[in-house]
Parts: sequence; C-alpha cells; structure tokens
Amino acid sequence: MVQSSGWFRALNAILLACFACATLFPFLNIVAVSFSSSRAINAGEVSVWPIELSFDAYHNLIADGQLLVAMKNTVLLTVVGTALNMLFTVLAAYPLSKRRLKGRNFLLMAILFTMLFGGGLIPNFLLVSTLGLINSYWGLWLPALISAYNMFVLKSFFEGLPEELEESAAIDGAKDLSILWKIILPLSLPVMAALTLFYAVGWWNSYMNVLIYIKSTDKLSLMVKLYQMMQNIGPELLSTSNGEGVSQATITPEGVRAASIVLSILPILCVYPFLQKHFVKGVLLGSVKG
Amino acid sequence: MHSRAQRWRRHWERDKYLYLLLVPVVLYFIIFKYLPMLGEVMAFKNYRLSEGIWGSPWVGLDQFRKLFTSRDFVQILRNTLLLNVYSLVFAFPVPILLALMLNEVRSELYKRVLQNFLYIPHFMSWIVLGGIVIALLSPSTGVINSILKAFGLEPVYFMASTFWWPITFVGSSIWREAGFGTILFLAAMAAINPQLYEAAAIDGAGKLRQVWHVTLPGIRSTIAILLVLQVGRMMDVGFEQVYSLQNSTVASVAEVISTYVYKRGIVGLQYSYTTALGLFQSVVSLLLVISVNRLIRAMGERGLW
Repeated sequence: MVQSSGWFRALNAILLACFACATLFPFLNIVAVSFSSSRAINAGEVSVWPIELSFDAYHNLIADGQLLVAMKNTVLLTVVGTALNMLFTVLAAYPLSKRRLKGRNFLLMAILFTMLFGGGLIPNFLLVSTLGLINSYWGLWLPALISAYNMFVLKSFFEGLPEELEESAAIDGAKDLSILWKIILPLSLPVMAALTLFYAVGWWNSYMNVLIYIKSTDKLSLMVKLYQMMQNIGPELLSTSNGEGVSQATITPEGVRAASIVLSILPILCVYPFLQKHFVKGVLLGSVKG
Repeated sequence: MHSRAQRWRRHWERDKYLYLLLVPVVLYFIIFKYLPMLGEVMAFKNYRLSEGIWGSPWVGLDQFRKLFTSRDFVQILRNTLLLNVYSLVFAFPVPILLALMLNEVRSELYKRVLQNFLYIPHFMSWIVLGGIVIALLSPSTGVINSILKAFGLEPVYFMASTFWWPITFVGSSIWREAGFGTILFLAAMAAINPQLYEAAAIDGAGKLRQVWHVTLPGIRSTIAILLVLQVGRMMDVGFEQVYSLQNSTVASVAEVISTYVYKRGIVGLQYSYTTALGLFQSVVSLLLVISVNRLIRAMGERGLW
C-alpha cells in the first residue's frame, strides 16, 4: 500500500514535469532559433539550444529600429492605460462597496448588464470615430477605462474589509476621500497589484484595438508591428542597414521573427517573477463573487 | 416625521463625496457602453456615411434576410460552433486533470515551480503564441517537422491543412490556458475536508479511488459552473487567436464570426450588414448566458448573479 502510493507519486511527479516541459519547449525553441545561425535554422537543426551561436538577428532588428519604436509606443500605451484603469476602477469600486449608498443596486445591475451584452464592434468603432479619436491613443484608453469584471473583484475585496476601521477613522474626523487614500488603499495592495498586472498585460498585448483605431505606422503597438513582421519580412529588414557587417546571406526570416518574438515577451518575463504571487489571489477573489 | 426630501438631504450630506466619485464612472458607462447599444439600430438601416446613423434610411429586417440567406453565414456560424465544441470536449478537461495531478504533489516547492511554469503562456498575447506555433510547425524549418523527418516521416503542412488546423487551434488553447485554468480547481480542492481522505483510506481506497470518490465530488460545483459558462460563450471565439493562426488556405474551417465582422465591417466598410451579424451574435449569447444561469441555479448552485 505504502509502496504503491510511492510509485504513484513518482509517476505523477514525472508526468507533471513532462507537462511543464511541453509548455516551456516552444519558448525555449524560439529563443534558441533567435540565437542560431541561419544555416542551422534552415537545416532545421535547432531544438532547445542555439546552434552556431549568432546575434545577427538581434543586430538586424536593433539597427532597423522599427520594433523598438513600437516598443516605446507600447510602454506609453501600457503605463497611461493602466494608470487610468486603476484610477477609474477604484472610483467605481469604492462607492459601490458601500451597502448604504442609494441607487447602488441599480448601478451594479447596469454594470453587470454591460458584461452580458455589448454594442459590438461596428457601433463602438463608429462611436470612437464620431468622437474624433481615430488614430489617437485616447480612442484606445477611453473606451476601456473600466473592466467590469475587475471592478467587481475590487468591490468584493473592499466589502470584505472590516467596517470598524472606517467608522473609527470617521469619528476622528476623516472624510471619505482621505479614508479611501489612507486606510482602504494601503490595505488593498495585494489585490491592487493583481489588477494592475492584469490591466498592464492586457495593454502590453493589445492588438485588435490598435489594428482598428491606429492608422499611422509610427504609432503602432508592439503586437501589431510584430504581426506585420511575421506576415512579411520585407527586404528592408533583411538587408544590412548599419553598413558594418551583417550580410544578407547570414540572416533568415525565421531568425528575425524569432528574435522579435523574444524581444517582445522579454518585459513580461522580467516582471512575471515579482508579480506571480499576487495574480492567483486576484483570480480567486474574482471567483468569489459578491 | 421626516419627509422624503429631508431623508434624501441627509443621505446627500453624508455620501455626497461618494456620489461625486461615481459621476465620471456613470458617464463612462453611459457613453462607452450604453451608447454603442443604441448604435445597434444600424442593423435595421442601410448605413451611409454622409447621412450618419440617424439620417440613414430604415430597411427593416433586410440586413438579416441578406445575412441568413448567405453561404458565408452558414460557414462562419458552423466554424464558430465547431471550434467551441472541440474546445469543450478536448480542452476543458485538461486543467481538471492537471489540477488533480498537482494536488497530489507533496513538495510545496516542486508544486509552486511547476505552477509558475504552467501559467506563463497565459500572459503572452495570441500574436506571440501564434507566431511561435507557426514557427514550430513550419514544414521547412520547424522543429516538429524536423523530428518527423528524423523518424523518416513526410513533413506535415499543419497550418495549411483543413484537417490539422482545428487540432492546432485547440492544442494552442490548451497550451495557453490549461495551466492557468488549474487555479480555481486547486482552490476548490484545498477546501475539501482532509478527514474525508483519511476515512476513504481506512475503508481501503487507493489513490485513484480517493480521487474518484472524494476529490472529484468535492470540485463538482466548480466544474459545473465553469462548464456552463463555457457553453454560454458558444457563439464567441476570440478574435486574436483565430486571426493570428488563420490563413487563406484554411478559411473554410478557420473563418469565424469575429474575424468575419472585422474583415467585412471594418476593412470592407459594410457597416450595417456586419452590425446585423454582431447583433445576432450578442443576442444569442445573452440568451445562452441567461438560460445557463437559470440552469446553474436550478441545480442548486450559486448562479453568476
């Protein structure tokens, strides 16, 4: 009995390790391809480590500069977008967490309804274009100020905080806004971190809205640029743009694609270890709906 | 006796800051959520740019008639439903299985490491994941085909085959979401009373029997809710996954409602026609979610609202 459950556990651990490896393998492969020589890539020799180490693809991308411009745009899109999201989500969640508020249930139902039914792509597009926001980042930020789902997560977290805290602060003469700023928000840091992560990843990965609303090429986001580069690596990306060194023969489209994928996921991988402990909490809060 | 006006006054005095905070929020929902719902009237009009939404002529149900009689409609509706059914059958059980396995891992450290690896793809965009999938499966340079060739097999054109494309679609969904999907199931398993396992062990139940008789019943309600939620999303396949994986050779199995609305509406400027399609999709989705919620509550579980 003890024996058999020992075997069971070992087998289970090994199978799980296989799952994890299968999950990571595509990423390792793309990193390896990005650092491999074009000969090795074209021969299909690359699996999880670079063959004939080469930085040509990265040299080429950096010399070309288009991806870096898109990356800079995406940083702006992400930082401002996430800040607006957090501000507006708190603005909505805090008052709506107060059961005494008149009209609260009506507002909650009205917000819940927007999660179930929406205007659809074309009416939204016409609204943004009527407001004159085509080709402006405001056309991306404003329609996405609050995610109703995240708002409900934050609201139910606020509702879980002990009411006595606020009451005693109110007796000391604090007003709603300073209670929110000095007491509620500091207590909510874990869930705020989780929501910030989810919003920020959303902005970093934003593709469809940029595709629809942003027209000028110098404003495109990282993902749109990446998609374009994957569709057609044009001759301009494959030629030497910096004069010294990288000759056409040493670059292959697959290598450049791999390198641009690696560059565009690098920032997420960098913040991931610091935030991963928070998002589980965020997901669990979201599932316990109030 | 306080009059209504006085009571409101007292409420207002006490909560005016809360109401002030809500003003921008209410404006946001009115302008960016409810106004576009009014825009759905375009589905009953023949939109002309020069005349705007309100000036364009009414055409009643003509757009819907055009839609329901077109061959495109049958195809994209079928593709949308089929891809969702495949996901339901093949992708849905995977996080449950993974969670059952993770739940049996004794070493907390090993478990955490595994989980953190399994979550990673969830945070990547479909553009990135689609790019990786296409590179991986490339017939000339992809590593999968290199392996096939090493075994003496013919290279497979995964992305250009109408047989392999849906498999790739579901496989990539599993890759991205299976690990992340374990979070809720693991939380449900953590809530199971450990005495139940002890009792089962005393009754002579081995590991597999314990999983069958204790763990699975313990997470039944979580499974049920997620399952019906998935059914509620039957009409919707996310835009980006399909768009990043599809190409013209597999359009017959890969064109779905969301990509079609984008191509015909935004790119092709057929605003009224695609609004009609979007409205059809939203209404069916709404009806599905409402019935699914009824069903959950009828089963004695807590509903979604």
